[in-house]
Amino acid sequence: MQSVAEFDNVGLRYGTGAETLTDVSFKLFPGSFYFLTGASGAGKTSLLKLLYLAHRPSRGAIRMFGEDLVAMPRSRLPGFRRRIGVVFQDFRLVQHLSAFDNIALPLRIAGISERDLVGPVNEMLDWIGLTERSSARPATLSGGEQQRVAIARAVIGRPEMLVADEPTGNVDPDMALRLLKLFAALNRLGTTVVVATHDIHLLQEIEGAQMMRLDKGRLSDPTGSLRHPPRPLVLRN
Amino acid sequence: MRLPFTANPHERQLIPDGRFTGPMPWVMAIMLFLSLIAAAAALSLAQSARQGSESLSRQATVQILETDADARVAQQREVAAQLRRQAGVKSATIVPESEARALLEPWLGDVAADSGIPVPALVDIEFSTAPDAARLATIERELSRIAPSVRIDGNAQWLKPWFDLIASMLWLALAIVLLLLFATGATVALAVRGALNTHKGTIEIMHMMGGTDLQVARLFQRRVALDSLFGGALGLGLAVIVILLLGERVAALEPGLLAGASVPLYGWLLLLFIPVAVTGLSMAMARWTVLSTLKKML
Repeated sequence: MQSVAEFDNVGLRYGTGAETLTDVSFKLFPGSFYFLTGASGAGKTSLLKLLYLAHRPSRGAIRMFGEDLVAMPRSRLPGFRRRIGVVFQDFRLVQHLSAFDNIALPLRIAGISERDLVGPVNEMLDWIGLTERSSARPATLSGGEQQRVAIARAVIGRPEMLVADEPTGNVDPDMALRLLKLFAALNRLGTTVVVATHDIHLLQEIEGAQMMRLDKGRLSDPTGSLRHPPRPLVLRN
Repeated sequence: MRLPFTANPHERQLIPDGRFTGPMPWVMAIMLFLSLIAAAAALSLAQSARQGSESLSRQATVQILETDADARVAQQREVAAQLRRQAGVKSATIVPESEARALLEPWLGDVAADSGIPVPALVDIEFSTAPDAARLATIERELSRIAPSVRIDGNAQWLKPWFDLIASMLWLALAIVLLLLFATGATVALAVRGALNTHKGTIEIMHMMGGTDLQVARLFQRRVALDSLFGGALGLGLAVIVILLLGERVAALEPGLLAGASVPLYGWLLLLFIPVAVTGLSMAMARWTVLSTLKKML
């Protein structure tokens, strides 16, 4: 099976410091659901940054969607980034744009016409329960509302891979479950999902999800899924 | 190719314009004003130099320093007649004695007009083409057979230092225009770098969503283009007022070296073109700055 992402002995260091990630090797398979866990400072965010092409590795090889990322010219990266949805830990919403415009941003960047994007954006706003607040700026939204907007923005383009950094950190348990259901629904449609989380309960919500554990920059593979294609997942609730 | 002004309102709001609130349009207006004044000075000097070289350089003055008044007048007539027969001489005009005496008035006062002081008899010559020193010497030799005390002063010879000065000032004015354009480009680069820094977060998000460098550059180009156009229009308006006012002053001058110093028609077209060119230059500078800065990001 062709992997979505393949890391081979990847190392990452910032500047001249010690390696944040060391000898990381794994494969992510299409349509799979992965949880990335580990203590604070273990390197989860750094690994996700490599996955959503915010950094190149200091060493090792990375293949994304079948192509060598390390040797890839910079000009080709935008095309690959459009295939990846990202939920940032700090949301990273554009502060001077409304909730509607933040969610519409990936579609506008991809060149979707205004006529074609209004429907999907409104649908997404409805789904995250923020229809009434579509024109609100992020500063006027609560932390949970901002997180929902950030997730809606990440998934609206139906990405091939969704990378989420602590996506349920600021929402109540009910909303966390709803968001997880959205991720699972996307996953069923074929999107590979990687969720970095501290929340141990979240891991139990999706049967068949694989777990990647980072410990001081090194990856462990408790389920063996990183070497072998996973089974289809089942959402418990 | 997509023009920067075609960015739709949603694209534009990614990098808020904030027009006329920052210093950029006003700095552009000042730069454009100074550039246009320097360019207008260069164009006027060029016009003046061209007219001078076309008319004054073709003129020469014959002086007959004969002390005997009757002989002086007779020699003056013969010299004028001889000159009119010369090839390449368009005209040879006898200067009346009263005019010659008037020329002395600044130095001698009223006494020059009615005293018995002998004044040289003058003949103004206009050549078809500006004569060089060798030709004037030849003519002087020929005329000395008629009037032994004859002397010819070519205008081109005494005007040369003036034209050299005008040429130097012309180059200086052009250098000032180029320096101001360079300073404008540097100002744009600094402003764009500042704006890139201000909007770094938005740009990173755009990148992560798959935005290209060109998409980002287009937003900045548009913003810089609008600032440049506003600054250009303001600078041009002020410069035109100043140039017209100065033109009135120059027109009021006695005929002389600066009399032809006015902006010709092609000069006005050039002056109108400068703000447009600066807008293009600013956009190119903004694009280059954005692309070279973003190249350092992944």
